[in-house]
Order: sequence, then structure tokens, then C-alpha cells
Amino acid sequence: MFKLNIRIALRSLLRNKPAALINITGLTIGLTACLMLLLYVTYERNFDRHDARTTRVYGVMTNVPDGKGGITATFDGTTTALAPMLRQSLPALEAVCRLSYGSIRLIASGEHAFKKEARFAEPEIFQMYGYRFLSGDSTTALADPHSVVLTASMAKTLFGRLDVTGSRLRYQDQYDLKVTAVIEDLPLNSSNRFDYLMPWLFYETVDPSAKELNWTNYSFITLLKLKPGIAPETVNKSLVTLLKSSGSDSEQPHFIFPLQRLHLYGKFEQGRSVGGDIEQVRLFTALALGILLLACINFMNLATARAGRRAREVGVKKTLGADRRSLVFQFLTESMVLCLISVALAVALAELLIPAFNSLLRVQLNVGYFNGTTWLALLAIVLFTGILAGSYPAFYLSSFNVIGSLKRNAPLRRFLPFSMRQVLVVVQFCFAVSLIVATLVIYKQISYIKNRPLGVEVQALVEMPLEGNLKTRFELFKKRLLASGAVSAMYQSSVKLAHHSSNFTDIRWPGMQAAVNRVMFNKVGTGYDFIKTNGIKMLAGRDFSPALPTDSGGVLLSARAAKIMGLKDPLGKVIQVMGERRTVIGVFADYVWDEPAKTNNPMVVQMEPLRGGSMTMRLNTAHSLEDNIAAISKIAREMNPAYPVELSFMNQVYAGKLESERLLGLLSRIFGGLAILISCLGLYGLVSFSAEQRTREFGVRRVLGATLLNIMQLLSAAFLKLIAVALVIAVPLSCALMNTWLQGFEFHTSVSFWTIAVATLLTLALALVTIGLQAVQAARANPVDALKYE
Amino acid sequence: MITIENLQKVYKTEEIETTALNGINMHVAEGEFVSIMGPSGCGKSTLLNVMGLLDKPESGSYRFLDTELLTLRDRDRSAFRKKNMGFVFQNFNLIDELTVFENIELPLIYNKVNASERKKLVNEIIERMNIVNRNKHFPQQLSGGQQQRVAVARALVNRPKLVLADEPTGNLDSAHGNEVMELLCELNEQGTTIVMVTHSAHDASFSNRIVNLKDGHVISEKINKSRSAELI
Repeated sequence: MFKLNIRIALRSLLRNKPAALINITGLTIGLTACLMLLLYVTYERNFDRHDARTTRVYGVMTNVPDGKGGITATFDGTTTALAPMLRQSLPALEAVCRLSYGSIRLIASGEHAFKKEARFAEPEIFQMYGYRFLSGDSTTALADPHSVVLTASMAKTLFGRLDVTGSRLRYQDQYDLKVTAVIEDLPLNSSNRFDYLMPWLFYETVDPSAKELNWTNYSFITLLKLKPGIAPETVNKSLVTLLKSSGSDSEQPHFIFPLQRLHLYGKFEQGRSVGGDIEQVRLFTALALGILLLACINFMNLATARAGRRAREVGVKKTLGADRRSLVFQFLTESMVLCLISVALAVALAELLIPAFNSLLRVQLNVGYFNGTTWLALLAIVLFTGILAGSYPAFYLSSFNVIGSLKRNAPLRRFLPFSMRQVLVVVQFCFAVSLIVATLVIYKQISYIKNRPLGVEVQALVEMPLEGNLKTRFELFKKRLLASGAVSAMYQSSVKLAHHSSNFTDIRWPGMQAAVNRVMFNKVGTGYDFIKTNGIKMLAGRDFSPALPTDSGGVLLSARAAKIMGLKDPLGKVIQVMGERRTVIGVFADYVWDEPAKTNNPMVVQMEPLRGGSMTMRLNTAHSLEDNIAAISKIAREMNPAYPVELSFMNQVYAGKLESERLLGLLSRIFGGLAILISCLGLYGLVSFSAEQRTREFGVRRVLGATLLNIMQLLSAAFLKLIAVALVIAVPLSCALMNTWLQGFEFHTSVSFWTIAVATLLTLALALVTIGLQAVQAARANPVDALKYE
Repeated sequence: MITIENLQKVYKTEEIETTALNGINMHVAEGEFVSIMGPSGCGKSTLLNVMGLLDKPESGSYRFLDTELLTLRDRDRSAFRKKNMGFVFQNFNLIDELTVFENIELPLIYNKVNASERKKLVNEIIERMNIVNRNKHFPQQLSGGQQQRVAVARALVNRPKLVLADEPTGNLDSAHGNEVMELLCELNEQGTTIVMVTHSAHDASFSNRIVNLKDGHVISEKINKSRSAELI
């Protein structure tokens, strides 16, 4: 019986090639989307879950108060003093580890120098992460202050081989280090990644701010590992009392958060996790399932539309003694066969698409063919899809009564004024329309943010890390560049123009109400020409001037800083920044840095001695770009031979800030396109079936004088009505949904009339073309042929 | 073998009620070949469908070898049907996706006959129906007469006690029609009970007895002497 069912299924596929093609195309696309989703979700869900020991690891989070009892932000930065205190006073902890943020630093083996991601950590890191040692071991790897642990690919890059323990490396062209261990590469889906790892003890030599135990500089990560059976809440409670009693003047409340959840649930509001990347995972899941559902709907619709043809078969079989169960089973077999074919195609397609997908989403997906769960998952997909797509047709078709179906033209009974098929078409197009609206709104929001004035003239603006010899010879470098004519203005600063990471609260100003400031400020330490180079607008006062020696004690305020301080006439006022008195000499207009869709922290810009960081240059537009770059590179190489020349164009840096929105836009375009494609395929199938069924009717009408257009209208009207219903339902719904999405951005556009108009017209146009293709064919058929047909 | 008493069947649509069977009484003896005749809409097809358990009357009694069939549950009706009855339709009703062999095999599959036994039975009947060289063909590759032979073979492969034929020659030319009628006669002579609905007096002349229906009543019965001699 089963063999027979499969035979019937295959033969009926071959006999109805167009329907089979539509079904297989749709299902293959849907299943490919589903497979990619499965891989992506697995990847995301496995973040930091490669090793069992990570389950008890927590990161210490810091809440930033807004000064009014609320919390403005939550981040994973902590002070240097926290870890030693916790280590001493919390017996519930198995291990505590301080870790630096990753930064790209120079590492060289002899002549081979590379800039790779470096981190510093205390040896306890080996209790937190399950790194696999290829050589060396966890007890000694970070014991010596001048040791370095390499990942396998870092070792290969530097030495071309893996057995490099004991070899010498030079860090930042200044310090000699010895390789003490080589570990396997960290998976892409792990947080706190690095290419090479160095001891915290060494960090204290490199960066004095790491050595000094303080409660004000939140630039370091603290990881904790709880003893088995300890609840995080108890640690959180003792954390609060401990911080109060420790006498630290830190008012920032800390709490601990599971490391394994940080990636997906790392978005905090008022100190509580409110989601994060999990939203993207969910969105992606919904999209892929939606696409699969669309393909299933195609199958259902085509199967039930062809019911008339199958009805006779059902009748005969019932007469011959088939019970309903065996018929349901037969039709389910048919959908399973179709799914099986589609899954095979989908796996092949996914295999082709994964590399592109990986580079698009910057992830590392692969199909584990030798993995039992993979096959189990594939089987589950086939069964799920087969049942989803096949159950409605199966129950529908097998319910035909014998006599009606044998007579073939007996009208089928209807309980509702519309058929299930019509409902399904409406559902399909609702989904498609919503995706079109989403795509349009996302596009509009991206261009809105893009077109927001940056407050900086980014064209011809480049930046370059300030490192190596240049740190001490910056003034000479600047002089030579200006003399070369490649650069018209430049400055050095402690942080990059578009990304600041020096948040602080230790600031006082005249007329300050509270005893202690709780608002997070941002500080940029720089030299001369900050304003001139960037083209930032001055609202009052002036830039630092070399002509006035007192300017070294001056400070520039951002408009927002001046507003928060409530200074009516800020010029000449003396404020205190981290204990130092500074005179306000100018107020500049706010410009965009970090997140372009958000208001930034208030900012102070002050003269500071050179400590490395970044250089920003305005290229001389009188010369060609190539000449300018060549000139800068030549001088930089001469003066700082150990370091490669790395110039970034600021317009690209700013464009990169819209990366996640760009990704969302891309995904919504891909999925929107697929949804439309599948829906139109299904529509095409339904229309062609309807045309075939009505061949005789059309023939009679033609004979009686109907024009081509009459026939086309006749055929299109019924379907266009469904599309119209879908539009009426989906447009307001998706507009409301996208409005909610937009509310998540501080600066956002709105869903406008033209969004709705474009979505509506686009859907109608696509549907019309799909229907029209068939309608023309049906209407053009020779009426006599049509009449002979029956 | 079959005793039908006072069958009543009404078709209802939103506007019209049509009485298809209006108190029919009828008896069919084992080994008989009965034709049911009458004008269009007289209820003859409905009667046949009721006899084949494909349709349910409102009231009345239908006994088959002393079993009352009208009170059976759906599942039991279906089981009874597949064990005891074979059907031949005017439009053949072969399944297009199945070959001749597979079409004939289908009732055996539903009766859970094992594969080797099935093969034997199907080959036997194919030989008997003279369609051996066609068993790998699909229905649409056969002529109407051949298709009806396959349909008859399918009705018989299960060795039913009763064969119900609904205008079996309706879609055939007279030569092929005669062939099929002769086949039915032959079967009847071998002991199969047959009830046939027909428009054609010629076809009816092959049967033992002719029952005439009009407006849901039996209006007359006629013994066909030339063919019923051996029965009486």
C-alpha cells in the first residue's frame, strides 16, 4: 500500500508538471530559508556555550544613573578595584578575573609584524573559558608577566607553524614577550575573543590606568565564576552591601549577568535585560517560518484547487473499500514525497548560499553532515512541512462523499461565503504586503539616519591610529604632513572621532545643584585644531589657540554639555574635570558619534598631553586623493617603520555605523522578495487552474461576442478582490508594527503616505502581471478548441 | 439473496425536495442477473447506490443474506462493501495514475490480501478478461472497450457475491458494448449475482429479469424467459 501510494504520488507529480514545479520551487525556497534559519539560530544560541564550565560564569554589569533615580544605560565595564575586593570578600565565588577590552595592537615575530586583536587577562580566565591547549598549559600560560598566549591561526600567521612555544615576539615594537601556549582558535560565536592574550601583570606595565586600583574608571571587564549551587541573586545582594561598606565612593550599582546570555539578551533598560540580539533571532525565525508557510499554502491551494480531478480517484477508492484513514495517509504521502524532493534541493541550495550568508551576517555557519542531530532535524523538517502542507488537502480530499465525487461535477458544499483557498491567498498576500511595507520603512529609516546632519564634514577626512614612534614625534609628523601639502589640517586625540569610550562622572560646574554629578560625560583629550580639522560648528567662543598659552587649561563644551550644566553664558566659566580646574573657552554644536540614531552623552574637549590614540586629518582637496594618501603613507613609514599605515576614511566609518540596520534592510529585501515570489507563483498556479476550468465557459462567451478584455477582466476580478482584501488587512497592521519599530530609535522617520502607496501599487502591479500572463493566454485560446475540449 | 422493503429516499436542496425512492420493494435471488430500467430521474441509479452501500435511504430495510445493512455503522458498511460487492461504472472510473494491473489490484490491497496472492488473482482475472498484453498500460492508453474490461476485471478480482453495474455500456459503441454484456452474462452463468442499471432494452435482454421504475416506484417486472429458464 505504501509503495503504491508513493507510486501514485510520483506519477501524479509527473502528470501535473506545472503544479509540481510551482510546489517544488516554493517549498525549496521556503525550506532553504528554514535551513539557514536553523543553522543561524543554532549558531546564535550556542554563543559562549562551547564549554560546560562557562555555565557558572557571570559578567559584572554597571548601571549608569541618570541623576534622577533612574538608569540611563547598562554596560559591562567595571573598575580595577572591584575584582580584588570581590576576590577577598565573597566566598561564594570560585574565581574572579579582570579582562581588558580587545584592541588591535602590533605584534611582530622578527620582520613579520601584524596588527591583531589583543587582550589582557588574569590567569583565572582559564577557569572561565574552556580553551583547548595545543601546547603549554593553563597553570603556567599567564604566570610570567612577559608571556603571551596565541591562537592557532595567530601562530600560523606569525610563524607559519603551531609548535612555537618558547618563541619570542615583540609587542607594539616596545616589549619582548615569550610564547607560553598555543590554543585552538576561539569560535566566532564566543564573546571576549582575541588573537593573542597577555597577562594582566603586563597590562599594568603598558597602561598605568590598569595598575592603579580606582573606583572611577570603568574601562575593564570583570568576570566571576560562582561556586556550584550558588544563586546569582545572593551574589547580587551581597554585592550591594559590600560596595556600600567598602568605603568606595562608587555609586554605580553593579549586578552580575550570565555570560552565556549576554550576547542574546544584552540590551538593558533601567538595569533590566529587555532582549537584544534575541530579537533579531526571533525576527529571522518568524520570517523563515513565514516563507515556509507561504510555500505550504501554495501546496494546499493547488492541491485543493485540483480537487475536482482527484475527487473521482477518491470516489473510486472509497467504492473499492478504502477507508478515510488510508486516503488521508495517501495524500500525506504525496506531500511528504514533495517535501523530500524539496529538502534535498534545499540542502544543496543552502550549501551554495552559506558562504555568501556567512560573509553577509559575519557568522560561521556550516552544515554538520556527520552529525546525527542534523539528519534528525532534516527529517523533522520533512515531517513538519509535509504535515503542515498536506493535512488540509488530505482531510479535505478524503472527505468527499462517494456519489458526489464520482459524478464529478457535483457542487461541493460550503459552510462559509468564502472558501478556505481564498482565505489562504489573503493570508499569503498579507504576509507579502507586510514585508514590502517593512522593507520600505527600513529603507526610509536608514536614509533618514544617513541624511541626518553629522555635524562633521566627513568628506576628505581620514583617521589613523597614533602609535609607535609617532606618539613621541607627533608634532614633527604633523609639520611634515602639512608641509607636504597632502593635509590641510590635523589633530591628535585620545579617542577616535566617531567612537568615544572615555565616559566619566567626576565633573563639577558653577551652580551645580547635586553634591555629586551622576550624569555620564564624555571626554576627548586633544591638541590644537580639533574644531578646524573636523569642520564642527562653533556656537560660541573659539578653538584652542597656540598663541594663547593659557588655553592648555581651557575646555570646549558640546552644546548638550552646556545645556545639562545649565550655564547661561558658559564662556569664561571655570569647571572641574576629574579634579582639574578648566576654563570654558568655547561651545560647539553636537555632532554624531557612536550610535547615529541616539543623543550622545554630553562632551568636554580639553588639551591633554600626548598619550596615543588617534590622529584625524583633513586631506588637501587641491591634490588628488591618491597623491595625498601616497604622501601620508610615505612620511608615516619613514617615521614609524614598525607599524603598517592604516588610514580610514571617515565617511566609511560613519556608514559602518548603520551596519545592523543595513543588514536588517538586506534581510527584509531578500525575504520580502522571496515572499512575493512564492505568493505570485501560487497565484499563477491558481489562476492557470481557474482558467483551465473555465475554458468552456470562456469559449461560449467568446462565441457570444465577449472581447479579450472582457475575459481577462472576468478571470482577474476574482483574484484581484482577494489581493485588495489582503491590502486592506495588511497595510494598517504592518504600518502600526513598523511604527513601533521606529519608536525604538530616538531619531526616526515616520510611515508616510507614499510608503503605503508604493506598497499598495507594487503589490497590485505584481499580482496584475501574474494574473494577466494567464488571462491573456486563456482569453486568446481559440473558442472552438475550448468548446471541443469537454 | 437481497431483500429490499419499503425504501424511501429524498434529496433535499435549499429550494426543492426530490423523492428519488418512494417505497421500493424488491428481491434478488442468488445467481440472478437483474436489470433496472426506467426514464431519467426515476431513481434507478439511487437504488443501485443504496444497494452498493454508497448512499443511505431515509427509511426502509435492506437485507443481504439475512444481514440488515441499513443499520450498520459507516465503517462496517465500508467493510461489508469491500468484501461482498464489485462495481462497474458507465465512465469506467479507473485511476489514471495506476496501470491496468495496479487498478485491478487495488480492491485486493484494501482487502489486505498478501502480495503473492494478489499477483496470482490479478493475473488470473487478466487472463480471463483477455487483456494480458495490456497490464502495464495506463487507462488513457486503452480504448473504451478495453477500459471497461479492466473495470469489470477490477469489480470481479475480489470474487464478490454481487456485482453492481451502472450503465456499463453507456460510453461504448455497440460492438464493444456487446462484448461487455457477453462478459457479464458469462460471469452470471458462472454464478455471480448481477444487478445492472441500463437505458438500453438491448442490454436488458441479456438479463434474467427486468425491473421497471418510475418516480421512485417499481411499476412492473418482467421475467426474460429466454435467459431465466435454467434458473427456474
